[in-house]
Amino acid sequence: MSTPLPPDKSTVQGLIMRGYTHPYSSHLLFRFSSKAAASQFIKALLPYLRSAENWGTNKPDKMLNIGLTFTGISIASSLTKTELNAFPNTFTTGPASQGSQGSLQDYGEGDPEKWLFGGLLTNGNPDPAKRVDAIVHSYAMHQNSLNELTDFIAKAATAAGVVELLPLDGGKGRLEQYQLPVDTIHFGYRDGISEPDLNWPETWPAPPVNTDPADLNNFLIGYPNSAFQPGPSNPATPNASAFAKDGCYNAFRVLYQDVNAFDKYLSDNAPVVAQTLGKSTEYAKEWLAAKLNGRWRNGSPLILSPDAPDPATADATNFSYTEDTKGLKCPFSAHTRVGNPRDEALFPAESPVPRLIRRGVPYGAPPVSDNDKGERGLIGLFLCGALASQFELIYSWINTNNFSPLFSPNFDTQDALLANRATPDMDTTFTIPIPGAAKPLVLPKLPQFIVARGTAYCLLPSIPTLKAIAEG
Amino acid sequence: MANPLTLYVPIKQDPLTQAAAQAAYESFVDSVKAGLDASNILHYARVALVPNPSGEGILGILLITTFDGEMNPYLKFFWQNEGTRKAFAGIAAIALNPPSPPVTDLTGFENFINENNLNKRSKDLYKGYTQSVLQIKAAFPPK
Repeated sequence: MSTPLPPDKSTVQGLIMRGYTHPYSSHLLFRFSSKAAASQFIKALLPYLRSAENWGTNKPDKMLNIGLTFTGISIASSLTKTELNAFPNTFTTGPASQGSQGSLQDYGEGDPEKWLFGGLLTNGNPDPAKRVDAIVHSYAMHQNSLNELTDFIAKAATAAGVVELLPLDGGKGRLEQYQLPVDTIHFGYRDGISEPDLNWPETWPAPPVNTDPADLNNFLIGYPNSAFQPGPSNPATPNASAFAKDGCYNAFRVLYQDVNAFDKYLSDNAPVVAQTLGKSTEYAKEWLAAKLNGRWRNGSPLILSPDAPDPATADATNFSYTEDTKGLKCPFSAHTRVGNPRDEALFPAESPVPRLIRRGVPYGAPPVSDNDKGERGLIGLFLCGALASQFELIYSWINTNNFSPLFSPNFDTQDALLANRATPDMDTTFTIPIPGAAKPLVLPKLPQFIVARGTAYCLLPSIPTLKAIAEG
Repeated sequence: MANPLTLYVPIKQDPLTQAAAQAAYESFVDSVKAGLDASNILHYARVALVPNPSGEGILGILLITTFDGEMNPYLKFFWQNEGTRKAFAGIAAIALNPPSPPVTDLTGFENFINENNLNKRSKDLYKGYTQSVLQIKAAFPPK
């Protein structure tokens, strides 16, 4: 086959192809009242819409990107019912649907009935008051600039008759980035170290399963030879395909992080870890934190730095799990090993390992006391070309570690950090193999460290598509 | 946790369609065995031909499966496997109300399966045991 041309970066929203490092961001949720209102609102935002083109040496002081949910597309676009039917079921039914909840497993406090946005009524139907049609991701270099930008966006919404949802502080607060040290999350880990390369394939082997899942054609809609086949791409619905081309899905998920439960788990288990290792309790805490995550808090992967964090490996992304078949360096259920098992042996139906583009930021201030139950966590942007076979597949692995023969014979453990512990029939202990020890260290019940506060599946449409909506 | 998929697709009444349904029924297990074996999530899958009320001819195809975990992330695998793709595409091709747009890719396949699944909730399923296919295979390896 001829080599497909790479996308024109001026048509792709910048958030997809590059990680912004703006220190200030806010993620505003909106509900459309009509097609005309959506059109007017998006048209007003176009001056700040950022493409993936290089911005040179000076970062833009203020810029934004726009995501649309399926309900948002249904209202804002001119697509017919048949064309709308061409979008993937996972996107059209949304993250609160039974199908998606089979993977996300949001039980208990994370139940979609308790979500701050995008959730359900107690009868299982979508809550109209929490419906999200659009998310505007706004970024700025300074707090004042962000304030100016969010004021501009809010006024544009009001002028168009578009309703803003304020999910935090009892309906008064936006999802705004908190200034933790760069690329750090509330549990103290550095984040965002390993991202897909987003290369354009040099060769286009067949079958598509042999392509590199980190390549850009697995994330952008409208290109061939992806094992995940981002859609819609049906020739029978060319308008839907054109609408979605050069777009990418965003699983927007706000995740509360229970910092006190996390710290308590480390403190409660440090004595037995210290005794097992013959080390101090302070070392034991950091060692346990690293075993839960697969990387030390500075970023060093356990595979390369099994005994202590090392600045030389803090940004390392080139390593393998194939030699660690007993989990002696990195436990099988460590978060980063579940979220990206790399070259680990997988069952055929799980291959190839899907990748996600992660553009999340922390929200909420750190706790000031052990009893501080303030709202804090991660504003998660998980970008993919196929919500079901990329995002939800990884989430299913997180809730049930059953994707590799390594988990034999029970296949019932969970991601040490992220899983929902109420997932039926799961073993919530945490097993840490110890080199030279007769038995692994098995720590008791993993707590619920993370709770879903809301989820919305969005399409980050191309710039031409957004301009077309703006023109009505 | 096991979940049900009950796919019911009414079919056209012309002789060619009726013959195709009969052929799909008779070749079902041979067609899908390799794919379903490799998936490691299928407990059972069976197909049945629902007769017309008159007793003559076939009203529709009924496919009943019980599988572990969630369905949608694994549809990619079933679409990429030739046997399962052909079996499902064959059913879609003879549907009385053909999928719109037609099934030509993974997205269309995902939509066809979900739209025709009569079981939307896991609580529709009685479970006589809680073990997964992987757990059962590990406990009872092939002799």
